[in-house]
Amino acid sequence: MKQMFLSICAGLTLFLTGPLAAQEPLRIIIDEAIIEPLPVAVPTFQAESAEASQLANELARVVAADLTGTGLFREIPSSAFISTVNDFNAPVQYADWKAINAQALVTGAVNVQGNNVNVKFRLHDVFSGAELGNGLQFSGTTEGWRRMAHKVADAVYARITGEGPYFDSRVVYVSETGPKDDRKKRLAIMDYDGANVQYLTDSNAIVLAPRFSPSGDRVLYTSYESGFPRIYVLDIGSVQRRVLESAEGTMSFAPRFSPSGQTVVYSLTQGGNTDIHSMDINSGQSVRLTNTPAIETAPSYSPDGTRIVFESDRSGTQQLYVMPATGGEAQRISFGEGRYGTPVWSPRGDLVAFTKQNKGRFHIGVMRLDGSQERLLTASFLDEGPTWAPNGRVIMFSRETQGAGGSSTLYSVDISGRNLRPVSTPSGGSDPSWSPLQK
Amino acid sequence: MHTGHVISGAGHLMLIGWLLLGGLLTPDPEPFEITEVSVISGADFDAMIAARQSPQSAIEVAQPNAPEVQIETPELGSTPDDVIEQPAPLQTETPPEDAPPEVTELELPPETQVEDTPLDLREPVGDVAVLVPDVAPVAAPRPVERVAPEPVAQPDPEAVPDPVEQEAVVPDTAGETAEQETQEATAPEEATTEIVTEAASAPAASARPPGRRPAAPPRQVAEAVEPVVEAERPARQSENPSTPVNNDDVLAALQAAQEAVAAPSGPPLSAGERDALRVAVAQCWNIGSLSTEALGTTVVIAVKMNQNGTPVAETIRMLSSSGGSNAAAQRVFDSARRAIIRCGARGYDLPQEKFSQWQNIEMTFDPRKMGF
Repeated sequence: MKQMFLSICAGLTLFLTGPLAAQEPLRIIIDEAIIEPLPVAVPTFQAESAEASQLANELARVVAADLTGTGLFREIPSSAFISTVNDFNAPVQYADWKAINAQALVTGAVNVQGNNVNVKFRLHDVFSGAELGNGLQFSGTTEGWRRMAHKVADAVYARITGEGPYFDSRVVYVSETGPKDDRKKRLAIMDYDGANVQYLTDSNAIVLAPRFSPSGDRVLYTSYESGFPRIYVLDIGSVQRRVLESAEGTMSFAPRFSPSGQTVVYSLTQGGNTDIHSMDINSGQSVRLTNTPAIETAPSYSPDGTRIVFESDRSGTQQLYVMPATGGEAQRISFGEGRYGTPVWSPRGDLVAFTKQNKGRFHIGVMRLDGSQERLLTASFLDEGPTWAPNGRVIMFSRETQGAGGSSTLYSVDISGRNLRPVSTPSGGSDPSWSPLQK
Repeated sequence: MHTGHVISGAGHLMLIGWLLLGGLLTPDPEPFEITEVSVISGADFDAMIAARQSPQSAIEVAQPNAPEVQIETPELGSTPDDVIEQPAPLQTETPPEDAPPEVTELELPPETQVEDTPLDLREPVGDVAVLVPDVAPVAAPRPVERVAPEPVAQPDPEAVPDPVEQEAVVPDTAGETAEQETQEATAPEEATTEIVTEAASAPAASARPPGRRPAAPPRQVAEAVEPVVEAERPARQSENPSTPVNNDDVLAALQAAQEAVAAPSGPPLSAGERDALRVAVAQCWNIGSLSTEALGTTVVIAVKMNQNGTPVAETIRMLSSSGGSNAAAQRVFDSARRAIIRCGARGYDLPQEKFSQWQNIEMTFDPRKMGF
């Protein structure tokens, strides 16, 4: 009897005090935040051999420049460091890095043996007191040390931001020298940050609109070498080129590879009318995709290769349209004020970058495929020719200054509209095309 | 007489003659012009001079006839230069692409984790020197007993304190139809009969460390007491040996219930206190380095708190996410964890008396408003 009484008492007690024991957590919603560069510390990498001492510092500098160049990171100067990293495998004194508000710490080591370089790094989440991902190491040659630095920075960038990497990529563009009325143009290729510039053609003929192949080994471009525009395919490794066949009396221009790399879509002017065609790059068989009296040009494939965005003045003003990759009915996607041109589909497939001319100003902008959420990122006397970084987060374009002495310069901008900055090139540059990420 | 008349007549004749003919003998007055003069400044004068146009030349100069020149083209004795062959522009050979670096995953070195836990500060035992803090802790206000101006009788225990003492009014139940408002009894605020000074309420033992080793450390005393308590329990049970009390589940349930009742509780956090916590975390939540996908991802995070308002870093975990991939959610979680730890390093400003309300917190981090 007493046992039953105790059980009932215990049950009642638990029933009455249960809510207290299982205390509900306090719930709050954080829907505001700050947007500022993440403080990151990149101490000089450890030199594990005598030959590596100089490279160890240069590698760290390139890594830091890559990260800060995105506008998403802020490097903490070494003069603020409390502790030093003297051993790559030694424990990290997180408290010292917390004290200087370093939220990420990149430590690395370099070993040089002859022509071979070995670079390894670790990324630390300082306030969590732990590594962010596992350590990685890269092996290569001394000539390719910048690529290894870009690889390290790519890994750090991707782990912290969640975006895809893009530092280990190249850009082909039209290098320009001389005044506007006698400008010399030739194709050039460089690292994404303007380093290692090499020229692919001479300046005897005007060249325009180079475009990388999806594999990054070939470039399409338009040349006036024969007196009228023709499309050429250039192999970057051998610098060999060939012209894409086109009928006599026609002008072909504005080419771009399909995602498969087997098809080229381009504009063809014949009898005073400009339409969009596609061509199998191996067989030379071409297909007409549009057939209107309007001028239709600047085609660009979607990442899956099923659709094409292009510009047309079929409505009376220059606007953007999307049609199936095999041709057919096109749907207009731009409806804002002004004229839209040079559309480029994002590698992620969610946005289209374009050039907009309105009220005497040129803009680089992005919009969704249904024309919504149009966002203008720049404004100047003349901005044009956008190209996407491999991760779809950054856009590069060319900006020309006003006047007879004006020149063209490459710029890059984050798709948020922040971090607009020039790309350093030996001379003027226009018509950039970003390569895919290098293997 | 005649002489006088002659002289007078001659004089008058000369006077009359001068008056009539004198004007012919006097010279003509100097001619003069009257012109209007206005005063102008030097700047106006210069401007006036500058504005004045130069006179137009009306002189026509006869142009001499151009000489007839016969230009004879000299015969060239030289032949045109040969066309210089321009050397073909050098075409930069693109060096072969660098071999892609080999990527290998590093072997993890021995554990590099550094303990960053606060020191375990314990009460000094025995002759242990204790550093006096630079800043003395703020003394809590000492409760002072209120002294009544004059002696009052002990109030009714159920009376509510009020400046005006009054008797309780009880509804008259003797047949009155009108309802009377029920009024509770009140009494003067409780007061003591004498002032208790600060010295009188001084603690019996000083907080300073003892100057000599204590006779017995408190822990040893406590340990010595426990067996006594434990020893008493069988004695009580043996008082009624006929009642078999061996139901451990019931005892355990009772004990758990007692512990639950003993858990601190209090009023819920006010809106202002919740907002203060939200703002404190938000000002450390940096989403500037998040990906576009992560900026559309919401995560719910749980964290346990220490009583001093600092978060227990090891307990921060993600409960759920929505709107993005797992990788995007992980990036949002990483940034949120950094925010919780960073801004909570010195403890969030939360009311101590409501610890039971905020010892477990669920935070929903929603960056969508700040995305683009």
